[in-house]
Amino acid sequence: MRLKKITALLLGTALTASMLAGCGNDAPADTSTDAPATDTTVVADAGDDTTETPAAEEKEYSEDEITDFTMFIGMPGSEINDGNEIQEIIAKKTGVRVKETWLTGQTTEEAVGTILASGDLPDFINGGDASKQLYEADVLVPWDEYIEKYPNIKEFFTDAEWDMFRMDDGKIYWANPFTNSYGENRETGHNDEAFWVQCRVLEWAGYPKIETLDEYFDVLEKFYAENPTFEGNPVIPYTILCEDWRYFCLENAPEFLDGYPNDGSVIVDVDNMKIVDYNTTPTAKMYFNKLNEEYNKGMIDKEFATQTYDEYIAKLSTGCVLGMCDQNWDFNYTIQDVFKQQGLDEKGCNYVPLGLTAEKGMENQWHSYGDTLNNSSGLAVTTSCEDPDLAFKFISDLLDQDIHDLRYWGVEGVDYLVDDDGMYYRTPEMRAQAADTAYQASHVCQYSYFLQWLGTSKDGKNAMQPQQQTSEFFAGLAEPLKKTFEAYGAENYPDMIGSKVCELGIWYPMYSYSNAMTTETPGGVAWTKMGETKHKWLPKVVMSSNFDSEWENYMKAYNDCKPEDFLAEMQEELERRAATAK
Amino acid sequence: MARRKKEKEVNITPRITRKELKRQRVLLIWAAVFVVYGFVFCYLPLGGWLMAFQNYKPKTGILHSKYVGFDKFKVLFSDPQFFRVFRNTLAMGTLNLVTTFIMAILFAILLNEIRGNLMKKTVQTISYLPHFLSWIIVTGILHDAMSSSGTINEILLNLHVVDTYIPFFSIEKYFWPIVAFANCWKETGWNAIVYLAAITSIDPSLYEAASIDGGGRWAKIKYITLPSIRPTIMILLLINIGNVINAGFEIQYLLGNPLIIEVSETIDIYVLRWGISQMDWSLGTAAGIFKSLISIVLIFTGNSLAKAFGEERLF
Repeated sequence: MRLKKITALLLGTALTASMLAGCGNDAPADTSTDAPATDTTVVADAGDDTTETPAAEEKEYSEDEITDFTMFIGMPGSEINDGNEIQEIIAKKTGVRVKETWLTGQTTEEAVGTILASGDLPDFINGGDASKQLYEADVLVPWDEYIEKYPNIKEFFTDAEWDMFRMDDGKIYWANPFTNSYGENRETGHNDEAFWVQCRVLEWAGYPKIETLDEYFDVLEKFYAENPTFEGNPVIPYTILCEDWRYFCLENAPEFLDGYPNDGSVIVDVDNMKIVDYNTTPTAKMYFNKLNEEYNKGMIDKEFATQTYDEYIAKLSTGCVLGMCDQNWDFNYTIQDVFKQQGLDEKGCNYVPLGLTAEKGMENQWHSYGDTLNNSSGLAVTTSCEDPDLAFKFISDLLDQDIHDLRYWGVEGVDYLVDDDGMYYRTPEMRAQAADTAYQASHVCQYSYFLQWLGTSKDGKNAMQPQQQTSEFFAGLAEPLKKTFEAYGAENYPDMIGSKVCELGIWYPMYSYSNAMTTETPGGVAWTKMGETKHKWLPKVVMSSNFDSEWENYMKAYNDCKPEDFLAEMQEELERRAATAK
Repeated sequence: MARRKKEKEVNITPRITRKELKRQRVLLIWAAVFVVYGFVFCYLPLGGWLMAFQNYKPKTGILHSKYVGFDKFKVLFSDPQFFRVFRNTLAMGTLNLVTTFIMAILFAILLNEIRGNLMKKTVQTISYLPHFLSWIIVTGILHDAMSSSGTINEILLNLHVVDTYIPFFSIEKYFWPIVAFANCWKETGWNAIVYLAAITSIDPSLYEAASIDGGGRWAKIKYITLPSIRPTIMILLLINIGNVINAGFEIQYLLGNPLIIEVSETIDIYVLRWGISQMDWSLGTAAGIFKSLISIVLIFTGNSLAKAFGEERLF
């Protein structure tokens, strides 16, 4: 133990010393995304593991028979090591190994555009917001034939859901791998947007009821006044990420504050079936005015406008940021692991979501219950894949329960244990191990951008993924989180945010349409220009010393983008989607 | 004088006969290789310019896309953003040219004045090393050094020049100077090498004569060094003028952010954004063609100006 500490200390010093500029206040360099993976000790021989699982009698592919595929994912992610243990097990069972590469330093559109221009396509691709470009360039293999051939793929969506993926030529080219539940839904997390706050802030304030922006910043201000530093570093009361497409952290809160769900680019006024622009509502002005006030009070990170995603994650990792507005998936998977590794979770650094609204007592829809189908992007097979049938067989194989368990639970006996009732569970050591980034790189292989299930396992008992296993969820909660949940009478994250439980319209989410817009149409041009204008002006508005005049300038620039063109096309799409429901 | 030179050339150029061709066979074959190389890699890609006059779609390709004439250019020139981008490119290009150019000459002359050979070599080596760093590293250093907790802000704060740190990358007026400074830092040492070489080739007897006539260091620089390297300066200036429009891509791409995009975006980034990100390859190509035209105009103007002033020129 002592030795470990000293080594860690030395390593830490070496890292700090190697930084060129004097960034003494910055986060420690060992955030999860770039942790060195080389120093791991291999836990078990891949060969032994297969013998333990009951499926070992199946055909095992030898190295010569294994096909290597490539995949590009239009999102940043961490690459796993070559020879990753679970990847090898899956390769032996399915005969396929996929090398995943992730987005680095570019926007998704640039990366996909470059791939198309060079003609050098990977076998699998997730084009993100640039998926439509892939379709238009005619480089994707239609799924239709294979959906019928492989039952695992077919059952992934209902026929109506599959139909939503059909492009204008009537074929299906991709399937979104996320938020799809098998059997009973077991949601324990809030994998959506929220204003987040650290448990320790709430505990300090005596767990007050926080409903509005004013109350939220009030608590942050008071806490900050008494606790200007944390572990020797200055506290940042509130930060805003606004890099590239992630600027939703800054721009889309007004739709939620008005009590609407995450349609992403517009509000749908359900009573009148009208598209409403949330950029120009009184709530939007109120929200940015509040941010401006807080900025001028010194409550908001001075560097927010120019920080990159990595810098943002590094800041959060120190535990010094008290709160921010963000999507859970955008930070929490990384941050929870980092906090656990550094012991910051026991100090109350974990974030809990708050369902803020413009006024007190309003209902909120920050949390979307059930599955959200985003048909604008997903997993696709390209025409440069030499054996598309094998590619689709692999997609199907990954949905087999034993392989799905390998992807998300890991190897039985190493990553999880099974009790007498057949329930999966993990020891605290296994949980710590699963949060270790080096271990993740050398051992864990989730193939996360391939089709994956949430909800209940095909055995009818366990959850498809550990974070949804009730026992795992509670055992994994740090003490301050448990106390916070208790204080608010919540059992899990959705209870904490307290969103209205309601069925969302067939049109939901509208962002799946705007994400796929191109500059071919006037609405698409307006959408692009609106994005650019907001990117530029919103930080300016927040940082301005005279809010009202800057807001007016912004509104002028915004209206020059002809948002009405965009809204008209969204209205058309809303009506089209609503009509399909009848 | 000129006429006599011409006559002389005529005399030594043999007439093209079959025999002569045969005699120069090897030379011709080698020349052909380079002509083919030039054609394949420099002229053939120009066929892609066709895209600028079409509504190009990767699906239909260059042969079957719809021909739209000058529509894309019309779009380009009616986009106020394009003019901002054009202005930024020219402004940063000129700023870079002037600063790196003057700094390189100044540095070469100063370096030449150093007596100790060891010192001179050391300074020279250190000064051109940054040239070998890629922009991603240079911008990383700049980013760290100029961040809120970076060296520069810390120095300014400790010297009480400012009360609160300066967010360098969110203020428009700082961007061009930062780019010019970075270019200077990176390229001065490297660019000075040519001038240093030119200076070393100056006949030492000239300096001796100047010493005898009572010329000091300043006089020697003014009357001997500078005039002697004038041809080098002119040629390099002309070459660089053609490059003004290549104000850079990486540095603006890496240092820019939406807050200061009005001053940071260059034509190259514009081409990337429209051509690659928005998949409007036609518009990107149109912007690229426009850029090439400006470049050609600049070179010709520079060259004819040099001609008018009777200076060294490219062609």
